[in-house]
Amino acid sequence: MKIIVGQGSCGIAAGAGKIKAVLEQSVEGKYPIGITGCIGMCWLEPIVDVYDDNNNLHRYVKVSEDIAKAIAEAVLSSDFAKACEYEISDEDKLFLEKQTRIALRNCGIINPENIDEYVSVGGYSALKKVLSSMTQDDVINEIKASGLAGRGGAGFPTWFKWNAAKQSKGEEKYLICNADEGDPGAFMDRAVIESDPHSLIEGMLIGAYAIGAKEAVVYVRAEYPLAIIRLQNAIEQARNAGFVGENILGSGFTCDFRIKAGAGAFVCGEETALIESLEGSRGMPRLKPPFPAQEGYWHKPSNINNVETFANVAWIISNGGEAFSDMGTEDSKGTKVFALTGKVKRGGLVEIPMGKTLREVIFDIGGGIKEDKQFKAVQMGGPSGGCIPESLLDTVIDYKKLSATGAIMGSGGMVVMDESTCMVGMAKFFLDFTAKESCGKCVHCRIGTKRMQEILTRIVNGEGKDGDIELLEELCEAIKDGALCGLGQTAPNPVLTTIKYFRNEYEAHINNKKCPAKECTQLLTYEIDKDKCIGCTMCAKKCPVSAISGELKSAHSIDTAVCIKCGQCIANCKFGAISKN
Amino acid sequence: MEQIKITINGKECLCTENDYILKVAKDNGIEIPNLCDHESVAAFGACGVCAVEIIDDGNGKAIPKLMRACATKARNGYVVSIDSQRVLRSRKVALELLMSDHEGDCLGPCKLNCPAGTDVQKYLKQISNADYKGAVETIKQVIPIPASIGRICPHPCEQNCRRRFVDEPLSIAFLKSYAADKDLNGDTYIPQVKPDTGKNIAVIGGGPAGLTSAYYLRLMGHSVTVYDSMKKMGGMLRYGIPAYRLPKSILDKEISLIESLGVKLVNDVSVGKDITLEQLKADNDAVIVAVGAWKSMQMRVEGEGLEGVIGGIDFLRDISSGEAETPNLKGKKVAVCGGGNTAMDACRTAIRCGADEVYVIYRRTRSEMPAEDIEIEEAIEEGVDFKFLTNPSEIIGENGKVTQIKLQIMELGEPDASGRRSPVPVEGKFEYLPVDMVIMAIGQTINASGLDIIEKTKKGTISADLSTFRTSDEKIFAVGDATNKGASIAIEAIGEARKCADVVDSFLNGNIVGYRKPFVSRRKDEDVDFTSYEKKQRIAMPSRPADERKQDFNEVNLGFGDENKVISEAKRCLECGCHDYGDCKLIKYADGVGIENIRFTGKKNVAPVERKLVAIERNPSKCILCGLCVRICDDVAGKGILGFVGRGFSTVIKPEFDNPDTVSGCAGCRKCLDACPTGALKLIEY
Repeated sequence: MKIIVGQGSCGIAAGAGKIKAVLEQSVEGKYPIGITGCIGMCWLEPIVDVYDDNNNLHRYVKVSEDIAKAIAEAVLSSDFAKACEYEISDEDKLFLEKQTRIALRNCGIINPENIDEYVSVGGYSALKKVLSSMTQDDVINEIKASGLAGRGGAGFPTWFKWNAAKQSKGEEKYLICNADEGDPGAFMDRAVIESDPHSLIEGMLIGAYAIGAKEAVVYVRAEYPLAIIRLQNAIEQARNAGFVGENILGSGFTCDFRIKAGAGAFVCGEETALIESLEGSRGMPRLKPPFPAQEGYWHKPSNINNVETFANVAWIISNGGEAFSDMGTEDSKGTKVFALTGKVKRGGLVEIPMGKTLREVIFDIGGGIKEDKQFKAVQMGGPSGGCIPESLLDTVIDYKKLSATGAIMGSGGMVVMDESTCMVGMAKFFLDFTAKESCGKCVHCRIGTKRMQEILTRIVNGEGKDGDIELLEELCEAIKDGALCGLGQTAPNPVLTTIKYFRNEYEAHINNKKCPAKECTQLLTYEIDKDKCIGCTMCAKKCPVSAISGELKSAHSIDTAVCIKCGQCIANCKFGAISKN
Repeated sequence: MEQIKITINGKECLCTENDYILKVAKDNGIEIPNLCDHESVAAFGACGVCAVEIIDDGNGKAIPKLMRACATKARNGYVVSIDSQRVLRSRKVALELLMSDHEGDCLGPCKLNCPAGTDVQKYLKQISNADYKGAVETIKQVIPIPASIGRICPHPCEQNCRRRFVDEPLSIAFLKSYAADKDLNGDTYIPQVKPDTGKNIAVIGGGPAGLTSAYYLRLMGHSVTVYDSMKKMGGMLRYGIPAYRLPKSILDKEISLIESLGVKLVNDVSVGKDITLEQLKADNDAVIVAVGAWKSMQMRVEGEGLEGVIGGIDFLRDISSGEAETPNLKGKKVAVCGGGNTAMDACRTAIRCGADEVYVIYRRTRSEMPAEDIEIEEAIEEGVDFKFLTNPSEIIGENGKVTQIKLQIMELGEPDASGRRSPVPVEGKFEYLPVDMVIMAIGQTINASGLDIIEKTKKGTISADLSTFRTSDEKIFAVGDATNKGASIAIEAIGEARKCADVVDSFLNGNIVGYRKPFVSRRKDEDVDFTSYEKKQRIAMPSRPADERKQDFNEVNLGFGDENKVISEAKRCLECGCHDYGDCKLIKYADGVGIENIRFTGKKNVAPVERKLVAIERNPSKCILCGLCVRICDDVAGKGILGFVGRGFSTVIKPEFDNPDTVSGCAGCRKCLDACPTGALKLIEY
C-alpha cells in the first residue's frame, strides 16, 4: 500500500498540504504518506494516488478534507469501493492516456525529494553510460541523431550549440540552464524542476561532459521558491551520491553545480541578458556575434539550454537518439511539453509527440471548450507568439508549420480562447506585458511597444482612429526589424496575428465602436429588458454607483451616463433581464 | 591583419575583419547616422539608427536582417547600403520614436515665431554681454536693416515670448534697435563679401524685401542691381511709415551700408515704363520682383470719388518721406477708416498736420483692432477720436467735395474664421459725421503694371512658389507684399527675401534647392514650469509727452539710454532654446530623414532637470537613453556612477543611489558631456 499526494506548487495552492496532513492523521501512522510532484492535471487538484496491495492505482481527484478522510477509511479497510466515487473519471483519464511523456516521464510518479526514487526508475544510468563508454563526440552525435532542438522556443539544434561550445578554445567553459520561465501562462519548466529535478541535473551533467564544462549554473526565477528548494536538495543528494562534484563516478570528469535566482526580469530569459544578469549586471541583451558558445559567461565559451531540453537528454542517451527521432515530423523530432490553459475544459501539462494537430491537443486531450462555447483561437508561445484561428486548427505541431501561421512553437504556452475573448484586448494584454518587460535598450522596442500599447488602449476604449491599424502594422514591422533581441523582435507577433486573422474585430472597435466579443467595457451598454424585469430591485441594490432606478414590482432602467459597466447587475439578476451590447 | 574590401553605397573601402562597418564608412568619408556609438567605448547597439542593409554578404547572398553598422564587423566582399528604402524606413521610425519621447525646445518660441527666424536668444545673450557688434552680426544673418526693423516691427517674437508667463515678454525689438544704433554709431559690423561670381541679378523694388535679397545675394558674391520707381530706396519703410516712428536718417544709414557692399541702387526707374521686365530678364541671370503693395484698397461705398477722399498710402507717401511739404490741415476734420497700423500712421500723421478733429472709423471694438496696442494708446493720447462699431456706408459731398460721412452702427456677432467677433450692422441705425477728408486705410494691394509676363493669383498678386519663390517664369522670383497672400508686415517680407536669396544662389549654381522649414522639437507652453523664475519688470521705452510729440515728426521714442538697464533686460531671457541645437545629432538626423510631424505621439518620460554631477546639469526629459554617459563613466572615467534604472518605457538613467546631493564619485571630467549626442547634459554656467 502506497499513498502519494501531489505536491507541486499547483497542488499545494489547491490545498494538497492540508490534505496530506489530514491523511497522515486519518491513517493513524499506519502508512507513510508520500509525495510526488506535478501530475499535470491542474483542474483536478488536489490529487491523491493510492497504490493498493495489488499495485492497482486508485487516483482521487479534487480531494477535500472529507474526501481525504473517506480515502483513509478505504485504505484502512482495504475496501476501495467505499471511496470509488471520488476516483478520477474515465473521461478525465484520457488527458494522460493520450500523452507520450519523455521530458515529464517521472513527473507525478516519483518523489522529487528522494534521489533513490529517481535512481530506482533508471536515473543516472545515462550518466554512467556516458562517463564509462562515450566520448564527447559520441554524446554530441547521439544528440544529433535524436534531432533534439532547443525547447525554449527558438528550436535551434541542440547538438550544434554543444558542438560549437565544445570546439571553442579555452579551458574554462560553462554550462547554463535557462529556467527563467517568464511567459504568462507557462509552467512546464517549473513542473519539471519541482517534480523531477534529477532529470535536469543528469541532462546537464551529460551536456557539461559533452562541451567540457566544469561548472554548471541553473538560472531560475526567484518566483519559483519550491523549485529552488527541491533543486538545491537534489544537487546536495547528487553530490553526496557522487554524481556531482569532483571526479564523478571515478571517471575523472568534474562538474559542480550552482543555482542563481533571477530577480524576475522577463528579458533575462534571453540568453545574453541572462549571462549579463549572472555576472551581476543589469539584464540587457548583448550584441551577437559573438555568440555565447564563443564568448559567454565571463566571456568564456558557454552553452545555454532550456530546462525541457535538458530533461530529454538522459532519456535520449538511455534509449538512443533514433528512438527519439522516430517520433515527430520531418522537421521536428521527439515530443513537446505544453502548458494548456485558458478556456479549455482540461487544462494542465501536456506532452505529445511532434506532428499531432492543435485540434487533437485542445479537443482530444483538453476536452474542448469550457461550457461548450465556440472555440475562437489559441495563443501559442505566450507574448512572443501569435494566435491561430479555428480555420487552422488542423495545423500540425512542428516548428516550421507553426511559424508559417505567424505564431511560433515557443516554449510551450498554449492559451485557448473562446468566443467571449476580445482579440484586440488579448493582443493588448500581451503587449502590455512585453512593453513593461522591455529592457529599455533598443529604441524600437522601448518606445515602439509603448506607442503600440497606447494605440491598442485607445482602440479598446473606443477612441481608435482611422489609420490606427496601418500605424500598428508599420510599428510592428519596424520593431521586428529594429530590435536587437528576441523579446523585441517577437513582441509584435500577437498584434500582427490578431490583425491578420481578426482584422474585422479591430475594425469593429475603430469604426463602429463595438467590441464583437462584448469584453471591452468602454464599448458596452447595459440594458434591462422591460418584459423580463419583475422589479425585484436586486440589481438596483447591487449597483455600486446607483445607476439603476425603478419602483418595486415595476421594470427598472439603467442610466447609461452613470453606469460604470461593472457587470454586477447581470451577475445578480435572477431573471436574465439584463443584457450588455 | 589581412586587408579586405567592402563596398559601402557604391564606394570600395579597404579595411580589416576587425573593423566595424560604421568605422570603415567614417574612414572613407561616408557618414552613417548613429547616436549611441563613440570611439572610446565598445559598441552597444541601442539606437538602431545606424542600421544598414547588407545586400551581398560576399557570396552573392543578402543578409535578411538589417544590421547595426556600429556592431557589425566587415567581411570581404560585403556590399552595404546605408540608404536603401528599408534602411531609411527603419531609421525614420527610430528617429520618430525617439522624437516622440524627447521633451525639449530646440529653439525658443521667439525664433520660431519670427518670420525671418532671427536668432533672438543668441543676440540677447550677446547684448547681455555688451557685445553689440556680435549681436548685430547675429541679427544680420537674416535682417540687414535691424535699426529700422527694431523700431517698427510688430514683433511676433515678443507676442510669443515665454517670459510672458512669468511677468512680461522681453523688449526684444527695442533691444535689437538699441544694439543696431550702437553699431551704426560706433564700430560698425561689416560683413564679408564673397569673391565675385560674375552672375547678375536685378531686384525690382527697394523696400525691405528687395533690399534684403540684394544684401544677401551680394554677400554671396553676385552682382546685384536694385531698381525702384521712387526717388529713394526703402519702400514702405520710407514712404509708408511716418518719421516719428522711423527717422529717415536711420534708414539712410542702413541703406548706405548695403550700398557700400557693392549693391547698385537705381532710383526713379519704373518697370513697364522706363524699362521692361523682359529686358531685365534678358540682361540678368535672375530677376527678383519685390514691388510691394502700394495701392490702397477701395471701400466700395458711394462717394469714394469725391475730392478729399484719399488712400492711406497715398496720404502718407510724401509726408512720411519728407520729400514734399507737409500739408496744413488746420481747421479740418479727418476720418480715417480702418483699424490696422496704416490707419494709426494716418491718423497720427493727420494730427501732426494740424487737423482739428481726427476720427478713426472702425467696425469692431478696440480689442479686435489689428493695430499694435501701443500705437492705439499713443494715438488716443495725441487726441484721436475712435469711433468703434461704426462702418462707412456712404461718403456725402457737396460740389464734388466731401462734407460728411454716413456711418452704419454695428454690433458684435459670432466669432468669424479669424476668431474675432464679426461686426453685424444694426438695422436702420446710422450716424452722420461732418468731415473734410476721408482716408481709406483698410488694406493695400499690388499694382501689377509692367509685370504682365508672370502669372498672378486670383487676388491679383504675383503667384510665387512657397518653397522656391519662383514665379511662372523660371528666371523670375518674387517675394514680399506683392506675392501670393498679399501685404503683411515688413519682417515677413524680409524673411521671404532672405530665404529667396539662398534659393536664387542655388539656382545660379545650377541646382535649385527650395526652402524647407527645418523640423524641430518643441514644447507646449503649458508643459513648461515657470514657478522657479523670479519676477523682473520689463524695461520701459521712454517717450516724449503727447503734447510735445504731436507737434512734429521727430521720433516719439527716446531710446533706452541706460546700458545697465538694457543688459539686465537682455538677462531676463529664459533661454528656452536648447544650448545644443547646433551640435545635436538627434535633431540633425531627425530633420535629415525628413520628419515633418511625429506620427507616433504618446506619453513622454519627463522629469525635472537635476544637478548631481560636478559642473553638469542633467535634463532627463531630453535623454534618449543611448547610454553613452553610463558607459563612458564606467569604462573610460572608471567611475560607474551612472546607471540604467527601471524597465520598459520608464527606463531612465540616474546617478547612483538617487542621492539628492552631488554624487561623491563624480570627478567632473565631463567626458559624458562631450559624448552626449543631444542636449540632455549641459555645462552649468556659474
